[in-house]
Formats: sequence, structure tokens, C-alpha cells
Amino acid sequence: MTRYDLIVIGAGPAGLSAAAEAAANGLKVAVFDENARPGGQLFKQIHKFFGSKEHKAKIRGYDIGTELLKEAEELGVEVFLDAVVAGLYAEKEIVVRIGEEVAHFKGDTVIVATGASENMLTFEGWTLPGVMGAGAAQTMMNINRVKPGERVLMLGSGNVGLVVGFQLMQAGCELVALVDAAPRVGGYGVHAAKVARTGVPFYLSHTVVRAEGTDRVTGVTIGEVDAKWQVIPGSEKYFDVDTICIAVGLSSSTQLLKMAGCEMAEPAPGAGYLPVCSEVGETSIPGLYAAGDVSGIEEASSAMIEGRVAGISAAGKLGFAAEETVKARLTVLESALSALHEGMFAPKNRGKALDKTEEGYDISTNLLKKGYLADEEIAKYPGVKSVSGIHPVIECTQNIPCNPCQDSCPKKCITVGGNIVTLPVFDEKQGCIGCGQCIAACSGQAIFLVNEDIGDGLASVTIPYEFLPLPEKGESGTALDRAGNVIGTAKVTDVKSVKVFDHTNLVTFTVPKELGMRARFWRKGAAV
Amino acid sequence: MRIAEHPILGAPEERKTVTFTHDGAEYTGFEGEPVAAALKAAGIAIHRYTKKYHSPRGIFCAIGRCTDCVMVINGQPNVRTCVTPLTEGMTVDTQFGAGGEDRR
Amino acid sequence: MSANDRSRDIGAFSAAPDDDMIVCRCEEVTKGEIRRAIYDGMFNVREVRRFLRCGMGLCQGQTCAKLVKAIIARELGISQGELEDAAGRAPARPIEMRIFASERGRDE
Repeated sequence: MTRYDLIVIGAGPAGLSAAAEAAANGLKVAVFDENARPGGQLFKQIHKFFGSKEHKAKIRGYDIGTELLKEAEELGVEVFLDAVVAGLYAEKEIVVRIGEEVAHFKGDTVIVATGASENMLTFEGWTLPGVMGAGAAQTMMNINRVKPGERVLMLGSGNVGLVVGFQLMQAGCELVALVDAAPRVGGYGVHAAKVARTGVPFYLSHTVVRAEGTDRVTGVTIGEVDAKWQVIPGSEKYFDVDTICIAVGLSSSTQLLKMAGCEMAEPAPGAGYLPVCSEVGETSIPGLYAAGDVSGIEEASSAMIEGRVAGISAAGKLGFAAEETVKARLTVLESALSALHEGMFAPKNRGKALDKTEEGYDISTNLLKKGYLADEEIAKYPGVKSVSGIHPVIECTQNIPCNPCQDSCPKKCITVGGNIVTLPVFDEKQGCIGCGQCIAACSGQAIFLVNEDIGDGLASVTIPYEFLPLPEKGESGTALDRAGNVIGTAKVTDVKSVKVFDHTNLVTFTVPKELGMRARFWRKGAAV
Repeated sequence: MRIAEHPILGAPEERKTVTFTHDGAEYTGFEGEPVAAALKAAGIAIHRYTKKYHSPRGIFCAIGRCTDCVMVINGQPNVRTCVTPLTEGMTVDTQFGAGGEDRR
Repeated sequence: MSANDRSRDIGAFSAAPDDDMIVCRCEEVTKGEIRRAIYDGMFNVREVRRFLRCGMGLCQGQTCAKLVKAIIARELGISQGELEDAAGRAPARPIEMRIFASERGRDE
């Protein structure tokens, strides 16, 4: 049996952060992960993260993963891959399958960071090949570089469904529809809007009735549900698809914690049984911690902080870090974490149907029901002003924890303020120079640069564009509005792809003047 | 089904091509990629037929958790294809039931 | 009334249109089988699991645990929180007996 100061189970965002934090304080740390690659889900996350600088906002998940792994390795953390932890016991001993044998390890402290697994739901035909978890689709396309299908229906409008739906399109799949039994979009409005504007229809209050096909999925029938979640007869709709992705939430993978005998409780009705933890993530077994999704489902950004909290606490417990050092570090980490725990999607607001933002703006019901803001709603938000000359149009209308737009503007035109969930405010007096930094910095792809009148009856619109092929300068295509409806012809006048924009291309096109505040997407090919 | 060029991830890195068989027919894939990825790229969706109801199954979780994608690999049944790296000359066969059973 | 109260009267089993839906993908246990087991007196996750093997297949209930719990809760008319999860036991992942029996360093 080999002994370590700290054993971490799971090499995802929480586990690697915990390991790095502890190793930086001098602990001898081993991380075990059942997968062949470290990073957990981080390397599948090809979108830019939310938050602020301290949360690594506007950096893509896989880059955060690479950085984290490098940090852990440089600090001397031993990472065992393909190492399946089969047992965890109250004495903080683990049994691991490594290769063709099992081995025992003992930790003076143990941090369980085993993450979560996808929830599933049953419908007729759900066992057919072609029905898969959204996570499976993400693994296939972003890691294995194979399309999970050609024509896909996404079931679930939470952030996973929306983000993976968008990624399916980036991989070259057709996203046929996005379906959710709930009456409101579950994820961030900005994630929904970037899917909706490409023309993908949202079917809220709908569920999958059955997957069609005998040997594999050849289609899907959905239907509208009533208040009791029953399908309303006659509301069925059929789509020709080869793949159905399920994204109906995650559940904490608490199996090892239960095995060790940690006290478990349901923090709120329907939340499932979770480990009872102290403020620093320590379970009912002293020296055994839980960090990341295993202690409650949140974003990877939160998981990384929770990991560090557990890591420094373990260092303090074993006497590697002085009490004051631990205290000071925890203060910093807790303030970073509390910034992410604000806003309408915060854990404390889960399940609540909010109508207004914290500033008192109406939350768009169109955004919640259809995935996009209506043209007539847009002007009432503080990031949207109709002024002459080039200016940003910030279509960020919900309190989400994010502020890179504020830091990105060299002219200080955009203000979010101290509380990062505040809606960004555009101040035209600062004099926007049209540099486009804000477009690329916006993880939600919700910022556009518009010049509502460039002469000749035209307006220019610059959009974030993360698809292939890139349009060419001079190419005529189709302008789509926020709902994804064809509204006219758009001629590309500029395509900016620079390294600092990190794969977010800025496509500028011209449209008739009256479409300047409406056109939000460019599609290849003539308008039909 | 392979993604040749990706707007964020670019082109996949160069990988060695290997040959494998699926139910006796020859295919190619990339060395080290999960068997399930090579099958998906080859357009093969059915990995096995279940024991009780003989119903077809394919990729479901793709991370080695659900064990739905198991097949008979190099003669060994119940191998999770989504986490098993492809090697040169591998034989990949549709699994019937718990493996080692006759086709139905 | 505790979730485990055996005097609970849940009436008689009646067939539902989706009874033939597979819930446990590994062991191919249907919703109808689970529902019938509840009406036969199995009132918690552990009993249903032992009786039908749902959650005891290769994946060890990773996909169906929540689904089974939801079905039991609905039939008993209680919240899911009142039902305990199945016990967590080693090995947490399927391991071949051959490997489980070969312990590192044993022959050294």
C-alpha cells in the first residue's frame, strides 16, 4: 500500500484544481481518474467560459484544461490515468484497478471529485442506436472528431442542451429542433439566442413521444404536453432525424462517498441525495472532502474554485499551511465563488420563475419561450442604444455572472460594474471605435457592432461567427433575424480572423438600413 | 461522418491509419481512436443485440459508463468500444446477448 | 407515514400503456415489471433491485437508478427524497474477477 498526503479521485476541473492547490502547499498528491485522458469534461468544452478574469472568463474550456494540467504536473502531482477507483473506505483507503491488477492506496486526506453523470428519460424507442446522451455527442465530435449524426434533435434546453446543440452545428451537423418539456428555456438566454438565430426552432412544452425506426433511429415524433406533462393528442410533430440527444440534467456521482459512509441528505426537494459538507467541502468523515459536481451540480468555473477550497483546507488540516495562510486564501476563493453564485441562474434561484432582472428590467418572455428576443423588446435593455455611427449592441438581458465585455473595450464604452451579474451598460459618449474586441470577448456571442446608416440606404452589422466555411469578402448571402427568419440579402464587406479573438471570427455585412437593428446572422447562399 | 475541418478545433492531427474487420468486412480507422468512433465513421450504428429482447444497441454515453456499446473484440465479449483504442488487425464483431451466443 | 410502511395501501396493480418500456437498459427490466413488483410489496429501491436485477447489470445502475426511484415514488405517492438510494458497494465499476483477484505486490 502506498501512502500520500492527499488522494484526489477524479482529474476533472475540481480534482485537478484541488491537487494543484494542495501540491503548491507542499503536499504529496496523487490523482486517480478512470479515463484515458485527464481533464474530465473540460476538453470537450470548446466554448468560451463565463465569469470574470479570476474565473478564466472568455477562455475556452480545453485551454483551461491544458493550463490546469500543466500547473498540476509542474507542481509534482502524480496523475494516474485509466485508474478505476473501485472502492473508498472510511479509513481513507482506496482500491484502484490499474491495468491488469488492483492496488491499494492510503491518503491522509482524500478529495472526491468524481463529477456527475447525465440524467436520462424514457420514451418509446429510447434504446435504439441513435439515441444518446448530449455528453456522448460532445465526446464524439469534440474529442473523437466524428459527427454523432447528420440530423439531430436535441431534447433539453438547459445550458448543456443549448451549448451542445450549438456545437453540433459547429461540427457540421444539422440541428433540426430543440425540445423541452418545460415551458421555459432552462439555460442562459444568450446560449439560446445564438442557436435560435441560425434558424433552429424551439419547441418548449414539448417532449419526445417516440424514436422512430426498427434497427436505428430514422425519425422522431414529438408532442406538446399539458400542465400534467401528458402529451396532448393531435399535437404530434414528426422530424426526419438520425440522432436524438438527451440533455435533461445531471446527477452527482456520489457512489464512492456513499460507500465510504459519508452522511448524505437531500438539500432541497428533488435535488437528490448529496454529501453533507462543511463550508470547505469536508464531509462527515474528517479529512474526506467532496468538491465540484459530486457535491452539487454547478458550472466548471465553480468546480475549479471548490477544488481549490478543498485543496487548501486539506493542506491546513495536515499542517502544511499555517492557519492564517489558509484563512487568507479561503477569503479570496470564497469571494470568487460568491461572484458566480449571483444572478438569476444561481443555485439559490433554481426553480424560480423570475420576471424581472435585479435592475428591474423585464426578462423577455420570448427569450424564455422561443429562444430569442423580439425586435420590439431589444431597445429597452441598457446595452442597446440607437445612436449614429458605429456602436455595440449588447443583447445581454439576464443577470448572468460575466464581465469580459467591460474589460475588452479600450474606450470604456461598456460598464458592468462590481457585481458581475449586472447587465452591461453601453455609454455612447465614450466614442466607440468599432474595434470589435467586445464581440470576441463575449462568451455568449451576444454583442454586435452596428452602424445603422452608412449611406446608400444601407446599414452595416458585424456579428461573431464560429462556423465553416467562412464567408468571403464581397460574398452575398442571406440575412437572418434573431428568430432565424430570412429577412433579406446581406453582402459581406469584411471578415476579421485574428489570433486574439480565439476562433471567433468577426463577419461584417451590409443590409438595407431598416434591417440594421434586426439582422443578426449570416447564412451562405441567396435568400429564398 | 468524420469532421475534416472544425471552426474552433481546426483539422484533426495526423493519425496512423489501421485496418480492422467488423463482422468479417474490412474497414479502416485511426490507430488509438475508440473503436466506437471508427465504427461511427464507417456508418455502423448497431453494436450488439440484447440478451432478453434481442434489441439493437449502439453508442449511448461514449465515456465507458453505460456499457451499452459493448461488442466482441478479438474474440472477447463485453468490451466497451467507446473506451477501447483501435489497433491494427483488430476484429470487431456484433455481440449477441452476453456474447458467445449464436446469432439469431 | 414512513416510506417503508408496509401497511400502506396502494390499491391493486393496473396495467399502463407504457408498461413494456425498458427502464434498466442493461438487464432489460421494464417499467411494468417494476410497477408490478411495487404492488407485490417491494417498497424501496433495494428490494426492487434485488428482485428484478434492475441496476445490477454491467453499468451498475448508473443510467436507471434515478428512473427506478421515480417510478417507485410515484406508485407509492411519496417524494423521491423519501426513498433512499441503493447502497454504494465496491467495486464501483465492473472489474473482471481475474483482475480483482490479482493484487499488486502480493507475490513480491
